Amino acid sequence: MDPDLLTRYNYDEFVPAKFEPWMRFDQSPPLGSKAPDFPLWALDGAETSLSAVWAANSYTVVEFGSFT
Amino acid sequence: MNAIAERYADAGVGSIFLYTNEAHPGEIYPHLTSMEQKLRHATALRDILGVSRPILVDSLDGACHRAYGSMPNMTWIFNQAGTPIYKSDWSDSHSVENAIQYFLQVLDRRRNRERMAPFRVERLDYRIQDQAQFYAGLERNGPKAVTEFREAFG
Repeated sequence: MDPDLLTRYNYDEFVPAKFEPWMRFDQSPPLGSKAPDFPLWALDGAETSLSAVWAANSYTVVEFGSFT
Repeated sequence: MNAIAERYADAGVGSIFLYTNEAHPGEIYPHLTSMEQKLRHATALRDILGVSRPILVDSLDGACHRAYGSMPNMTWIFNQAGTPIYKSDWSDSHSVENAIQYFLQVLDRRRNRERMAPFRVERLDYRIQDQAQFYAGLERNGPKAVTEFREAFG
């Protein structure tokens, strides 16, 4: 992984210069087209994927967020 | 959001929480520097904040989060084929439940052999703005998060 990307994405303080560059909802995937897939990990460290999640149900709600 | 997940689970609607970066790093939950730490913070989300939905963790560089727009608390709904059919730049349970009910009706209409084609719609939804609750959340992470938010937004 790119160490610079890791540091910038996991910013250490909530200041506009650090968090605003990441807020790019306007550039997110469009509705109606196949979505990009990514690996994800369960709390026990087991690897799964976003595609495994959406394939499991008729619809899947995915809330993005963190403790803070 | 937990209640919605439970309410619609039997109707074929799955729900997960996808753990990203720390939006407001503080003394107690600082910015992330390892996957082990990210898994610990995600576990705290379950154990302390009571998120009962399955929690999945993104990679440390936020590959999934970044690809979907990197908003701190957004919600997406996917159909079984992996097509996003709803996206909101903020998570609001009323908006999400409204969308779920609509999409479940679409399934019923298809079962009733209605011929339908998708189209795009834009809509401005409204969320509850509870400043006291928001600041209580920041305070859980120590004074740094509170100070930085006040300095950013006044």
